[in-house]
Amino acid sequence: MIKDITIGQFFPGDSYIHKLDPRAKIIITFVFIVALFLCKNYFSLGLLFFISIAAIVVSKISLRVILKGLKMIVVLVVFTGVLQILYNDEGTVLWKPFQQLDFAVTSGGIISSVFIIIRIVSLILFSSLLTYTTSPTMLTDAIERLLSPLKLFKINVSSLAMMMTIALRFIPTLIEEIDIIMSAQKARGADLETGTLVQRAKALVPVFIPLIVNSFRRAYELAFAMECRCYTGDNKRTRMKEMKLALRDYLAFAFVAVTVAAVIATGFFDISSFFIFERVI
Amino acid sequence: MIFMEDKHLLMFDNVSYAYDEENADELAVRDVSFTVDRGEFVVILGHNGSGKSTVAKLSNSIFLPSSGKVFVDGMDTADEKSEFRIRERVGVVFQNPDNQIVASIVEEDVAFGPENLGIEPKEIRKRVDNALKAVGMYDYRLHETHRLSGGQKQRVAIAGMIAMQPECIVFDEPTAMLDPQGRREVMNTARELNKNNNMAIVFITHFMEEAVMADKVIVIDNGRLLACGTPEEIFSQKEMLVSCGLDVPDMVKLANELRENGVPLRKGILCEDELVKEYLSILNS
Repeated sequence: MIKDITIGQFFPGDSYIHKLDPRAKIIITFVFIVALFLCKNYFSLGLLFFISIAAIVVSKISLRVILKGLKMIVVLVVFTGVLQILYNDEGTVLWKPFQQLDFAVTSGGIISSVFIIIRIVSLILFSSLLTYTTSPTMLTDAIERLLSPLKLFKINVSSLAMMMTIALRFIPTLIEEIDIIMSAQKARGADLETGTLVQRAKALVPVFIPLIVNSFRRAYELAFAMECRCYTGDNKRTRMKEMKLALRDYLAFAFVAVTVAAVIATGFFDISSFFIFERVI
Repeated sequence: MIFMEDKHLLMFDNVSYAYDEENADELAVRDVSFTVDRGEFVVILGHNGSGKSTVAKLSNSIFLPSSGKVFVDGMDTADEKSEFRIRERVGVVFQNPDNQIVASIVEEDVAFGPENLGIEPKEIRKRVDNALKAVGMYDYRLHETHRLSGGQKQRVAIAGMIAMQPECIVFDEPTAMLDPQGRREVMNTARELNKNNNMAIVFITHFMEEAVMADKVIVIDNGRLLACGTPEEIFSQKEMLVSCGLDVPDMVKLANELRENGVPLRKGILCEDELVKEYLSILNS
């Protein structure tokens, strides 16, 4: 079960999106998220949602993977959706279950709930595409380069990037280790699944202590191995994969710029989708 | 004192090492002297806690000797200025493959060493591809490292060393955590590197079978060098091996017992193939 986590995983491929410069991908993802929060009506949201779907199709990431990733956020989506319905009392009252309470399901509530859900889903779809199509090392390399102005403030950006690479690399290893330790403790009669929340939290202590102790041992050994491979922590490292912005990156930038312009422009005109929808309902 | 000749790539000269400097009597390695020639295949045998892993870390200036000297290609490992060049020449592959792989993708991990050396991107690419081909992992270059089997991970770690183009690779019990399949993979890779690339190999292990194909076998017990010689010489000293918790390989044992029971086998049989061939030739004659 623990092994099913897909967020943050990389699926090698050679699609247009895979080939984009990781720096471009990070910037575009960032801009896209900003655009998602700028959009105020169904027209622009629909546009962004459509772009997320199109990007996934272009990336050739399998639908199964995408759905698995979405499954992780179902609870979050349902929760926010319900909250919107509960707290929004604009529009006409559709259903008032408790006469004595000041609560009603309104058309405005449903509209904004659907709006928020589509917004969150587009956000997850688009941003998970970043990690699905970029190898962790390339990602940290790109972050290192994007953050390199911080060097002016004497921040060692390359060490930060190395830490991120190693952290990402060890996530699956440690997940595997948690599985093993849990089985080992269960085999000795540890009860990890029943009892109150406090009891279960306490039962996890014998899982996490060996995990932490082992992590220190791993860190110690990894440090030796890195030293053997001439890692010194200074900035003189070269990279196998050079990063050069190519035509396709500029095309992607241009495309996103146009999209953002469209989102902002429709915001000005304020196409009141609310009214349109109200009539439909 | 041994004098360093040109053919010696690695030389331990009366090396002692104490983990705890305040308690210098408890030496992990005591007065150990040996040499490894260019292109030589040396196996270091020893039981758990014999100090053999310490030898690996002493060989490329990860640990510095408490007394005595270690030379790599004429350079003293205690000399800080040559640290980088020493590690370029002598690579170490450790026991646990999980704890020496740095990157999540195979080819990116192999590139880690050359990147640290500051090599040109195109040259790194070439070295990475060649290193992966040398260990037979080229088809896996875009795979995620954590999904590989133990033997494959260890081969990736070896490729990471090859890409730095060392003259010698020290294997510190690389097979201890592997299944028989993985052990075979790693053994074959080490053997091929020695044969095809003329790389010096120092193979530290406690599996007797792995010592059979060595040019030279060194036995270490309790931090001391107990014996040094060809596999035939070492495996004929059964008492010495048993006294330090080791044993002769199964095939040598079988050959000995056959000989004691009247089968006129020649001395110096080390592996299954040799035994079968010899036995068949006796049957036929």
